Amino acid sequence: MTDEQLEQTAQARATIARLADEVVPILIERLAKSDLGELEVRENGWRVRLRRPLADGAAAAAPVAHSSQRQPHPVMAPASSGGPREALRGVVASPAVGYFAPRIGVEVGSKLRSGDPLGYVDVLGVRQEVVSPIDGALRGFEVESGQAVEYGQPIARVEAEA
Amino acid sequence: MFSKILIANRGEIALRIQRACRKMGIASVVAYSEADRESRAVQLADEAVCIGPAESRRSYLSASALLSAALVAGCDAVHPGYGFLSEDDTFAEMVRAHGLTFIGPPPEVLERFASKAGTRTLLGKHGLPTIPGSGMLRDDAHALAEADRIGYPVLIKPSAGGGGKGMRMVRSPRELQQAMTICRSEAMAAFHDDSLYLEKWLEDNRHVEVQVVVDRYGNGVHVGERDCSVQRRHQKVLEEARSPAMTDGQREALCEAAIHAVVAAGYENLGTLEFLLDRDGNFFFIEINCRIQVEHPVTEMLSGMDLVAEQIRIAAGEPLGYGQQDVVLNGHALEFRINAEDTAHDFRPQAGIVERYVAPGGPFVRMDSHLYSGYEVPPYYDSMLGKLIVWGRDRNEAIARSRDAIDELVVDGIVTNIPLHRALLDHDTFLHGEFTTNLLDRVGSAAFLREAAA
Repeated sequence: MTDEQLEQTAQARATIARLADEVVPILIERLAKSDLGELEVRENGWRVRLRRPLADGAAAAAPVAHSSQRQPHPVMAPASSGGPREALRGVVASPAVGYFAPRIGVEVGSKLRSGDPLGYVDVLGVRQEVVSPIDGALRGFEVESGQAVEYGQPIARVEAEA
Repeated sequence: MFSKILIANRGEIALRIQRACRKMGIASVVAYSEADRESRAVQLADEAVCIGPAESRRSYLSASALLSAALVAGCDAVHPGYGFLSEDDTFAEMVRAHGLTFIGPPPEVLERFASKAGTRTLLGKHGLPTIPGSGMLRDDAHALAEADRIGYPVLIKPSAGGGGKGMRMVRSPRELQQAMTICRSEAMAAFHDDSLYLEKWLEDNRHVEVQVVVDRYGNGVHVGERDCSVQRRHQKVLEEARSPAMTDGQREALCEAAIHAVVAAGYENLGTLEFLLDRDGNFFFIEINCRIQVEHPVTEMLSGMDLVAEQIRIAAGEPLGYGQQDVVLNGHALEFRINAEDTAHDFRPQAGIVERYVAPGGPFVRMDSHLYSGYEVPPYYDSMLGKLIVWGRDRNEAIARSRDAIDELVVDGIVTNIPLHRALLDHDTFLHGEFTTNLLDRVGSAAFLREAAA
């Protein structure tokens, strides 16, 4: 590298460090307080974008008049089948479209608490956790490691403790 | 040419893009939200991917969900349709950064035309008369100062997106202050961006727009104008071409000025330049829409061109391959937007099950709709159910044919604006082509309907 390139690299590092120290914490705070899904600032050719995990967030409010009362979609619904809600419990649905990878150490029979991660979906390099919806034991994975999954697709089944 | 396109939209435009892909021998993948699982586009899809929940912020407005779906499905291009992320330069740039093509202007072109105030200045330099307006409004005090400078009445407009959402005309500082809050929240809900600007309001204006097609190599044509003056609260209700208010000389001057300016300013792909036409026939540029528009079929009927296919071809880097002399416009076409809204009650949007749907038919009648009998209109999105487009050799023939087509159209189980279209087709001011953008708002649409029934 030439001296000029080295200096540019050093400047870029310094800018990244400054953005990370000064801008990012403020953005995180702003994003946390707002109901925005994503926040971006641009400055001198630099761009910082923060994104809230997709699985985090309330169901949509219906903004218009509706002629029939509709049940809100359960957050963890399987991709198809509209069976009774009890049957859905224990189905671990994908929180996003991307590639699934199981968590190391989680296998059939593993004891899980509600909210325990059992893998993640890779969305453009950002990992979105896949968590157990209930307390129970992992009955099995519905998809393989590295497999493409869509939003709501069943990824695993967890059996409630009797 | 592309091998597989992700359709990042819903409703009738998803079907329209699907049809263009099919005609061109390109595979397509429909990206859909949980609320659109039963949609016609998903039913007809080669492939479909669920991208998120009903809430558009987490589905059709989520750049990462859409792009992830495109990558997972092996697409090499993304068609954004209209609305949602169709003019979002950040999304376009993300698409490119992942090695895919955004079907629309390239990101740097979108960015150049992203600011409405900036675009007015840019195209003004290339010879287009522009409407006086403000830059981005910082706060209420800034808005008041700018409105004073421009002179009331002024129109408050959101900087992102279009479709009349978040727009209000105000006649006094007091009205301005009240409307700012509403406009901000409407703009935030619709476009995820609450920045607003002001524009001088012309009384008794007409809204006329010019369709342009420009390739990557600076070859461009215009495909004539469309008159979108029939509006209710800045939302287009009915569009037609040619404009009944313009002479051939005026049309020529407007369209020539428009294509000259956009080519000179480095625009690329399909675009629409919107103008206001005043009582004396003067036109003022207001904004450019860098995407396919709802009313594009009107132009397709006159020109015989497939505008979505053109958009795809240009995005793939193909040269235009024809010149202005090859664009021939024939006859007259009208487009009726069929919306799920209650005209008699303040245009309240409706949702629910369409119990029976029968599309009209016959020569020169085109229905672009995603409806089918038994389809449930979800409450989360735009209220548009489809578009009826009718062609005739002249305006009178097109209107006569439209009356029959509107009468044949059946949408049962849900309240629609079909009665408003019937009333328009019997209204003297409309029939004489003398209407301006306040035709409906002046009396209020409920009164308009009663007047027509009397």
